[in-house]
Amino acid sequence: MNYVPGTASLIDDIDKKHLVLLRDGRTLIGYLRSIDQFANLVFHQTVERIHVGKKFGDIPRGIFIVRGENVVLLGEIDMDKPCDTVLQQVSIEEILEEQRLQQQAKQETDKVKMQALKDRGLSIPKADNLDEY
Amino acid sequence: MSDSEQPEAENVSQPQWPENGEEWSDGEDGTTMDCGLLQAMAEEDDEIDVYNEETFGMELDARGTTEDPGSELLQFEEQPPSPPPPPCTPPPAPKPLHRHCSPSPLRQSPQYVPWAPPGQRGRGWGQRGGPGRGHLFEDPAVMRIVEGRPSLKFCAQTGGFMFPANRPCPSTPQSLTPKMMQLRFGANSPRPSPFYSPSSNPMQHFRNPGPVTQLHPQHKRLLNQKQHIFQRLDWDPYCNLMTAKEKEWITRLQMIQLQSENPYHEDYYSQEYYRRIESKMAEEELGIRSKREPPKLTTPYITKTDVYAPVVHIEGSLGQVAVSTCYSPRRAISAVHAPFSAFKEQQDIRQQRLEVFSKIEKLFVDLLEVEEAERMKSTILSEAEENGLMAKSQGKVENICSQLDSGVEFLPFLLVSKGKKLLARLLPFLKQETALTILSIVTSNLPTLMSRDPEEALPVLYPPLRNVIGGLTFSQLIVVLKNLTSSESVTYESLTLACQNKFGLSLLYALLSQGEKLLSSGAPLEPSIGDFESWTDTIFQVAGQLSQCSLVEPLLLPSNLLTLFCRYLDKRTVHQLKSNMESATGFVALPS
Repeated sequence: MNYVPGTASLIDDIDKKHLVLLRDGRTLIGYLRSIDQFANLVFHQTVERIHVGKKFGDIPRGIFIVRGENVVLLGEIDMDKPCDTVLQQVSIEEILEEQRLQQQAKQETDKVKMQALKDRGLSIPKADNLDEY
Repeated sequence: MSDSEQPEAENVSQPQWPENGEEWSDGEDGTTMDCGLLQAMAEEDDEIDVYNEETFGMELDARGTTEDPGSELLQFEEQPPSPPPPPCTPPPAPKPLHRHCSPSPLRQSPQYVPWAPPGQRGRGWGQRGGPGRGHLFEDPAVMRIVEGRPSLKFCAQTGGFMFPANRPCPSTPQSLTPKMMQLRFGANSPRPSPFYSPSSNPMQHFRNPGPVTQLHPQHKRLLNQKQHIFQRLDWDPYCNLMTAKEKEWITRLQMIQLQSENPYHEDYYSQEYYRRIESKMAEEELGIRSKREPPKLTTPYITKTDVYAPVVHIEGSLGQVAVSTCYSPRRAISAVHAPFSAFKEQQDIRQQRLEVFSKIEKLFVDLLEVEEAERMKSTILSEAEENGLMAKSQGKVENICSQLDSGVEFLPFLLVSKGKKLLARLLPFLKQETALTILSIVTSNLPTLMSRDPEEALPVLYPPLRNVIGGLTFSQLIVVLKNLTSSESVTYESLTLACQNKFGLSLLYALLSQGEKLLSSGAPLEPSIGDFESWTDTIFQVAGQLSQCSLVEPLLLPSNLLTLFCRYLDKRTVHQLKSNMESATGFVALPS
């Protein structure tokens, strides 16, 4: 067993089920089929899992190729581990609906917050722009 | 991660193109299929059943379903497990699953008809869901699932048509039936994950008999655990998409960066870390002869990159192109001789030229010093210093000459305009004999010089050469004239060329003028045998040439030329000559 540096350590993870969190917040689950030196990933039988609260829904996506720089974290899913999660799987429409509601609520609170701040003469930069600075 | 059971909601989906093979036939004519095809499909069907049993059988058994392989899938989907039922209630599937193609083709077509195309259905769904939900279905993946849900029966039937594409081939999972797709996704996917394929660990190839690994003890433990799991031999049909060769390639790529001649210098901390671990282990095992040598990081013995070309030479460019590599991030552009040229001849010529250029540059430095000395001569007061200076400069001049002479060919210097300038400035410093040599070279190569003078730098040689000519004796003059008139090329040609060229013509005039001067001076000429004959021959030749071809304006038109011609030629010819020469100059320059 050798200890390999960098991306080569992903070689041991090939053909195993993984969960990857992307920079845009998406969660993908799939079989890692191929990698390269930039840690670009090829996922097979990928499922995008949307979590809202305690519920989640899966959208099958097929084959995904993820550019290495967009990965936040990547972890192997242990199939043998007993599943004792409290999460509840729902249909796609339901989870999407929930997600939409969640986004809406968030937007509204944000709006109120921004307004309040503006009234007091403060401003907070948006999170999605922070990367660029 | 959750392995919760798949809800009924995500059962089947009406496949989009190109999977909706049944829709490709014209209209609703399901009878286009013949029995032979059905037969083949039935056979494939059997194979698929077997495969399904192998793949999914374990899982489904674990859930306590029946052993009927055919109905396993559907039954499983029907089970209402813990998740709440979806908004739409799927109809119960027919119990004996007709996935085989045993139903007659006729039966299938009527089933086929009422099934609206997916697009419409999607729209219908959207409308039914209300305007708020319309946007949910913009995602084709979601749509695929959502639309496929309501009619299980149809999917059961139409699923039969999918077989040609249904083969579990490693190419595209999209070609699977919707049901199979369903089962493969997410939580319900088959579990080949902890399998171990022997070739998936490339480092095995690198294993040396001696030191093997350098691992943190915790890592070691984890890996050992994984090793145990690897003993299982579950089969994943898509495994090893990434070949061992590719894995090895990546490993090598990463390893190369670790290579170093002096690791303690470049990678101090990791080396130190492992050294300390080793020493700790050695302490622990003190007294016990450890059979295992302390593991080390095995960097594969990859030969360092072969000689690469750090210099990229582009054809026709003056110097190197700066190619930044990991070894030399910056390279200055410098004009160098091109070592890697594809065209040997061109390269030779270029090489030669470059050599000549560099030589000329060096000689110029000397020349400048000589000229400087000459200029200083006027300011020097003491005679001794003057003598010393003169001696020094003379030495330099001789040096220059020897440099020029040492070269195999003198001509290349003359072909370069800077070389001409060099010579022009050097000539005043040369002794007469040397200067004469140069003059003869010039005259004998005159056609070449004239033709290869794009910058028209030849005239710069005229004044010093004229001075040289002015010091010629008659015999020497004849020799030079002979050179001019009988060079390698045809006699007439050189003369004709000379007439067309400013420098050539001027040189010719100068020579003739010198001859005339000598003849008319009355001083004893001391001619050699045959000199006069050559002289007169030359005169006639030149006269004939001059009268025939159009002349260019010379740099200097000696005044005694006509006198010369008058002496030898008849009046008419002289007159013709005169008019010719005058027309060239543009004004009356000759005494009539």
